Amino acid sequence: MEIGQLFLNALVLGASYALVALGFVLVLNATAAVNFAHGDLVMAGGMLAVALSAVLPLDTGVPGLLVLPLVLLAMAGAGLLFSLVAYFPLRRGPPVSVFISTIAVGIMLQHGIKALMGPAEQVAPPLIAGPRLEFAGLVASRQALATLVVAALLIGGTALLLARTQFGRRLRASAQDPEMARAIGVRVPVMIAASFALGTALAGAAGLLFANSYFVSPGSGGNLMIKAYIAVTIGGWGSAPGALAGALMIAFFEVGVAAWLSSPVAEAALYGALLLTLVLRPQGLFGEPAGRRV
Amino acid sequence: MAARAHPSEHRIQLMRRLAWICAAAALAAYAFAVADSYVLRVLTLAGTYAILVMGYQFVFGQLGALSLAQGAFFGIGAYTAALLGLKLGTPYILNVAAAVIVVVALAALIAVPVRRLQSHYFALATLGIAEVVLIGVRNWEALTGGGDGYAQVPGMALFGLVIPRGWGEFATVWSAAGLLAVLAWRLQRGLPARVHALAREDPIAAAAAGIDTGRLRFNAFLWSAAYGAIAGALAIPVVRVISPEVAEFKVMVACLAMTVVGGRTVIAGAFVGALLLYPMPEWFRFLEDHYLIAYGGVLLAAVLLAPDGIAGLAARVLPAPRSPGPPPAPVTDREADASPARPRGGAALEVRGVAKRFGGLTALEGVSLRVEAGEIVGLIGPNGAGKTTLANIISGQYAADAGQVSLGGRTLTGLPAFRIARAGVARTFQTPALAAGLSALDNVATVCAGVGRTDGGPAARLRRAHGVAAAALARAGAAAYDMETVGALPHALRRRVELARALALGPRFIVLDEPAAGLTADDITDLAATLRDLAEAGIGFLVIDHDMDFLLPLAGRLACLHEGRLIASGSADAVRADPAVIEAYLGPDFAASGGTHR
Amino acid sequence: MVFAAKSAESRAADPETTACLRKSRATRIGIVPTAAAAALTLWSGALLSGALWTSGARAEAVRLPILAPTSGILALEGASQRDGALLALKHAPKGVTVERLVLDTGSSPQRAVQAFEKAVRGLLPVAISAPIFGPEMLAIMPLAKERKVPLVTISGTAKITELGNPYVFRFFPGDAVVKTAQARYTVENLKRRKVALIYQTTAYGQSGRRHLRANFAKLGAKIVLDEGLSPRVKDMTPVLLKLRRAGADVLVLQLHSGPTALIVKQAVGLKLGLPIVAGSAMHQPSTAALLDPAALKGVCAESGSSPISGGGARMRAFATAFRARFGRAPDAFAAAQYDAVTMVLQAVANGARTAAAVRSALAGGRHDGIAMTYKSDGKGNMAHDAVIVCYDGKTRLPAIVKRYHNVDGAL
Repeated sequence: MEIGQLFLNALVLGASYALVALGFVLVLNATAAVNFAHGDLVMAGGMLAVALSAVLPLDTGVPGLLVLPLVLLAMAGAGLLFSLVAYFPLRRGPPVSVFISTIAVGIMLQHGIKALMGPAEQVAPPLIAGPRLEFAGLVASRQALATLVVAALLIGGTALLLARTQFGRRLRASAQDPEMARAIGVRVPVMIAASFALGTALAGAAGLLFANSYFVSPGSGGNLMIKAYIAVTIGGWGSAPGALAGALMIAFFEVGVAAWLSSPVAEAALYGALLLTLVLRPQGLFGEPAGRRV
Repeated sequence: MAARAHPSEHRIQLMRRLAWICAAAALAAYAFAVADSYVLRVLTLAGTYAILVMGYQFVFGQLGALSLAQGAFFGIGAYTAALLGLKLGTPYILNVAAAVIVVVALAALIAVPVRRLQSHYFALATLGIAEVVLIGVRNWEALTGGGDGYAQVPGMALFGLVIPRGWGEFATVWSAAGLLAVLAWRLQRGLPARVHALAREDPIAAAAAGIDTGRLRFNAFLWSAAYGAIAGALAIPVVRVISPEVAEFKVMVACLAMTVVGGRTVIAGAFVGALLLYPMPEWFRFLEDHYLIAYGGVLLAAVLLAPDGIAGLAARVLPAPRSPGPPPAPVTDREADASPARPRGGAALEVRGVAKRFGGLTALEGVSLRVEAGEIVGLIGPNGAGKTTLANIISGQYAADAGQVSLGGRTLTGLPAFRIARAGVARTFQTPALAAGLSALDNVATVCAGVGRTDGGPAARLRRAHGVAAAALARAGAAAYDMETVGALPHALRRRVELARALALGPRFIVLDEPAAGLTADDITDLAATLRDLAEAGIGFLVIDHDMDFLLPLAGRLACLHEGRLIASGSADAVRADPAVIEAYLGPDFAASGGTHR
Repeated sequence: MVFAAKSAESRAADPETTACLRKSRATRIGIVPTAAAAALTLWSGALLSGALWTSGARAEAVRLPILAPTSGILALEGASQRDGALLALKHAPKGVTVERLVLDTGSSPQRAVQAFEKAVRGLLPVAISAPIFGPEMLAIMPLAKERKVPLVTISGTAKITELGNPYVFRFFPGDAVVKTAQARYTVENLKRRKVALIYQTTAYGQSGRRHLRANFAKLGAKIVLDEGLSPRVKDMTPVLLKLRRAGADVLVLQLHSGPTALIVKQAVGLKLGLPIVAGSAMHQPSTAALLDPAALKGVCAESGSSPISGGGARMRAFATAFRARFGRAPDAFAAAQYDAVTMVLQAVANGARTAAAVRSALAGGRHDGIAMTYKSDGKGNMAHDAVIVCYDGKTRLPAIVKRYHNVDGAL
């Protein structure tokens, strides 16, 4: 059943994009700064997964799942490092300098990894190895289904963390109103660093998923960054559910329009739809009309 | 008129011009000394990027609007000039002109729908457009040659004379860069520089000063497009091949990096950024595979060490363009009559049935109010009652969901904030909305960009604006601080500067939002006296405040808002004694203590 | 005015205000020392950069700079090209010393032109190992003609040999050769006539598509689907389902490495069951490494050669040496560039020590390389053979199943 197959595949692609967008919006909320290196961080996570699979003995049925916690941990650390280098020194300066610092770190990441691992596309181990599954006329690889589950778990887990734990509340408080949060005793810089760590960990997980389903090369980051940016804008700037919705919409749009017309048309149409959204409903789906409190 | 410029200011200007001439001479000398095709080619292309960045500074540097279309302008300019030269064989100058026309037309087309978008939305819209351009250029094979593009694009020629590679192209590009720098300087100096600084730092303050930031951004966008097109058209003959790489996002990233590293508000920054960053990958070639890592590292270091850009760093180190001298002479009576600071005679402000909802929250419902010319009405009520919302609706920051606001019979609802300011409704904000980087005089002078005469050259207009601003500052009691940077002024003085800006509009009505907050008792007495004087001159006031000691003797009438509704309106005494008002806001102790609220 | 006077008073009286204001005037530094410092910095920068920009050339050695796009979208092919050239330099014949100069052209014509200028500074090279990227070649060709330096390249862009430039020598079979092989194998050997043609919306893809369409028309095959894919597309399901619906019986690809692997993998995932005849990207070891061997069953690719598929002793020696030096298996691009540079070095060893002499040797000579025999057809096309390699589904090593010799009749 063709539509069903398209739907399923779009969902899997959307789940991967959603992880990327979620990490992006977490950092965005915490710092009000666009992290231009986010896509490169996703790529780094994927490359890390590739490298780990080369050195670790992973002859099990679930190699990717074994590597996942390592990637999450390592990328969380990378996120902390990243914030120390690209964000904290520039916190008090003009916001545009954070753009450039993240672009610069992105360039260094991309070419540094290229120097280490070469320019070729690479593949990471699947989450669950094994033959594909077929049901109701649809075909799905185990990786695809595992992607859906893992993405849902990570997103759900993050949502729970933010909504139900004290730590999550503090994170949200320092994102929404740093002055107030500081006044009530929340250590805002620590929360910002934690947001970077969490966002980058999610990026790493997304990278691991991407690196198996769609391969990864040092140059993969730029495109993912743009997709995340679009997702967050369509969904509503600063809204995490909006970012997820936006990511899914992008995936469905890409697959749907490509199936209906063609892929080059889908690419142009995505930007066209983006522009239309910006003009007609600039606050996105879930965003409040932006305004400064006067 | 303004006093003759302080002698040191002339000397500083002279030193700046000398610095420019020295830099140009150094560049020419270096190119001449080394004189090989490799260096010349790199420097020539660096020159085209300097032009690109100068253009970008109009929209991103001066106005702080993050446009991501600058690379696309470069690309389309390059394609237009190249394709015309290749397919039609038209002379080079025509191709450049055509490139400018095509790109500016395109920019005008896209600027209209995106002009009201804020910050990141604007950035993303321009990014989307740039990506569509790239897709078009790649896939429209019949026109653009697709991925391969076209080779044998003709080189530069001026009036039939072929311009040789090497020196010829270098001189052409850098002469163009020099001329365009002078043009950029002329476009920005005087009053526009101050207006841009205000629009960049605080768009809401700019609207309150009667400045049409949308139009400013539109114009800046078109100028940036023109410069981008020229840069692209100049770059092509150096390479003589046209292919989609000129429209890729890499160009935009390079432009952005050069702007930020060089310094985005100073024209010299464009040259510093381009000359530093464009050749850098060439300098690092000895690192072979790792040269781009080094490039990223230097970029990071540059932005960490100089977040305002290198030229910005220099600007901080050098003395400010003006040292405080005697303030400009106050405007003569005749000139005061001609200036917009002269009140035009009051008019009544009428608010009828105004409602405002934010999602599920009703902020205002059925609010009606009338303030006569020369009357002072106080607006009181607990926090969250909707007082500031009402002020925002009157002055146009918010659009009302229902109801009408009119001034002297003229309907103001639905007009953008800057038009309402120009129509005669001024306001001040809870936190003074001023450009912290500008002097008080400059802050107030920006008003004259929106209202007032537009004849005379830039110097004359600036002098006129300063004259008006000086008069307004004097009236608001801040004349002695006109040369001080607003960021360094204490809160009470900033309030006065803001009031001065409101006065400079020549308003018929002023809305003040908590003007007494944070002032000492002396300051409050001063303020009340000032307001009474202005009311006598015919200006109507709506004053929002919590300080009853200040408001009660001042206001002829009071109105009380509670949960979005007007619960009382009338003479001060009547409202004070109104039980609903006491219940909602004043409190029983207030009445009991005889009306003191300290 | 009353208020102005009052304010002046209060200003004088209030030390806090004046102190506040006084602070803002504190950061002043003299103009003259600053201007001097700026000028000094500018001059020392100029001198320093001048020093960094000069390249030292040793008089006895011959210069053969290697220009390749090792960053940007063609980084993979550029790296192959560069490494093949470097190995050839290492294996230079006795008595020929070559100074090492490797310049990245960045997948951008602008950077390529700058790299060229740097390469010809000072002592003129006898030849330049030129980039694989078409637009870069087109940009540096006029300059090479001006300076009279021959360019040896493996760029597939047809135009480079159609502009009448006597300084260009292409050592990889052009689209006219390999696309003919690809089409002929599909129709004559696989006996398929309902073609789904999927190409990349880049220079490489668009050029290949034109040639494939012409060839299939000549062979009487029908193209039931002809669709372009952007290099960024990740999910190929739409186009795969479309071509199944269109009744295609073979999938012909002209895609880059990553997208080729993706579409093969997803075609297998959808149980498409169609044979795939891909462009040269599929022969590259790095592409095959992305897929399970089982997924490669029924997948074939065109190429100039296939170093890892065995072949003669010299090819095997080359593959071994390449692996030893660079830690990975070579592909046809590396082999072809190796042959190109080797031909130049042999000309030098035979006495051609100037650019002009090398050019004549290239234009008139014949070279038995490891991949094939090279001879100019008068326009600079040196390579006229192609191969089709296929995977058996058991390993990632393809086997050469068909050789097409002298496809355009120029040998």
